[in-house]
Amino acid sequence: MTTEHLHIDPAEKRWIQVSILVLVIFAVAVGLTGFVMGFQVPLPEQRVDPALITQEGPFAEPGLRELAPGKYEAYILSQIWSFVPNEIRVPQGATVTFYVTSKDVQHGFHIQGTNVNVQVLPGYVGKMTYRFDKPGTYYFFCTEYCGLGHQAMYGRVIVEP
Amino acid sequence: MTLKTNHINIHSTPTVKPVHDWKDRVLGRPSWQLIGGVLLLIITIGILAFAIFKPIRVLPRIRPAPGYSLIDQNGNVVTSEYLRGTLTLYTFTYTRCTSSQCQRTWKTLREVERRLPETNIGDIPFRFVIISIDPEHDTPERLQAFARRLGVDEERWLFLTADDPRLLRYVVGGGFEVYYKQQEDGTFKFDTAYILVDGWGIIRGEYRYQTLVPDTDRIVRHIGVLVEEIEKAKGAAKLAYEAAHLFLCYAQ
Repeated sequence: MTTEHLHIDPAEKRWIQVSILVLVIFAVAVGLTGFVMGFQVPLPEQRVDPALITQEGPFAEPGLRELAPGKYEAYILSQIWSFVPNEIRVPQGATVTFYVTSKDVQHGFHIQGTNVNVQVLPGYVGKMTYRFDKPGTYYFFCTEYCGLGHQAMYGRVIVEP
Repeated sequence: MTLKTNHINIHSTPTVKPVHDWKDRVLGRPSWQLIGGVLLLIITIGILAFAIFKPIRVLPRIRPAPGYSLIDQNGNVVTSEYLRGTLTLYTFTYTRCTSSQCQRTWKTLREVERRLPETNIGDIPFRFVIISIDPEHDTPERLQAFARRLGVDEERWLFLTADDPRLLRYVVGGGFEVYYKQQEDGTFKFDTAYILVDGWGIIRGEYRYQTLVPDTDRIVRHIGVLVEEIEKAKGAAKLAYEAAHLFLCYAQ
C-alpha cells in the first residue's frame, strides 16, 4: 500500500505547522487575558454633542480636580490649537484619570513617557488612567495633524516630588 | 540532480493509481488534518461572526464598587454588603441644594423609577441610593424629613450619610470617583453622576456628562440590558454571555 500525498517540502510543511501554532497561541492568549487576567480595553463611550459639552457639566470648567488624597481627575478639552488646561501639577504618586474630548476637529492626546495615548474625536470622550510615580515634567501633545498650528498644540504635567 | 531523482521516484510505480480525485480524498479517507482544519475554520468563522454581529450585548464590568459602612435615613448602619444581590443606582447630592442641577437629579431619578417596568425587572431587587455629600448637615433625621418631603417609597430609596466626612471622601471621591467640594458660602460644587452597580458589587454603568441620548433613556435601557443578562445567563447561555464580555459586545 502506498499512500500518495501532495508533495510538500518538509521545510514548508514545518512553517505551515508553525504558523497554525502561532494562531492557536494567539487564541489562547486572548482567552487568558480576557478570562483570567481580566484585561480591559478603553470602554465605548456615548456620543456627546461637541457644541454643548462646554456649556455644562465637567467640561464647562476643564482642569484638574482632587477626588480623594492621591487621586485626581483631569478634564481636558482639545481645540485648534491648544489643550485646556495646558499645564497641570500633581504630587508624586498621584493617580490621574484623564477625560479628553475635542471641541472641533480630530486631535490626539499622548503624554510622553507614559502609555496614555488617546485618539480625541469630536463627539466622543476618551478616558485613561495613569499613576505618576516619578517626579519630573511630562509633556503631552497632539498626535493627529489638526491644521496650521498643530505643532504648537502641547502642554505638560508637572509631577512634584 | 536531486530534483531529477524525486521526479523519477513519484512516477516509478505506474501500477498504483494515484489518488487525485478530491471526492476520494474527502469522502474516502478523511484525515485528521482535514477534520482539524474544518473544525478550526468553523470555530474561526463562529468567533468572527460573534464579534462582528454581536448577537448578545452586555454592560461592561467596569470595576468593583467601593465597600462602605454608612448610616441611612432611619439611623441604621448600611454597608455595601447589605446591597449585594440588589441592582443599585447611586447618586450623590445634598438636601440643602436648591439649584437647578439638583432639581434635574430628582427629576431624572423619578423618571427612571416611573419607567422601571419597561425593563421587565420583575422581582429583581432594585434600589436608589442617594449618598449625601454634606454629612455634617444631613443627619439621619434631616434625611428622613427630606425623603418624606420628596414623597418617595422608602423601601426602594435609601438616603445615606456618614459619621466621618473623611471616610465619605474616600467612598465618594476615591471609590465612586465623583468630585465634590464645599464652597466658601457652604454650598457644594459637584458633578451630577449616576453609577449603576449590579448585585455582585461591580460598577456596570457610569453617567457623568450629558450625552446625545438623555440620561434617563440610557439608564433605563442599561437596566434592561442588565436584567436580561441576569434572567438569561444561565447554564450554557452563560458561556455565550461570557463570550459577549470577552469580545466587548457592549450595549450602546
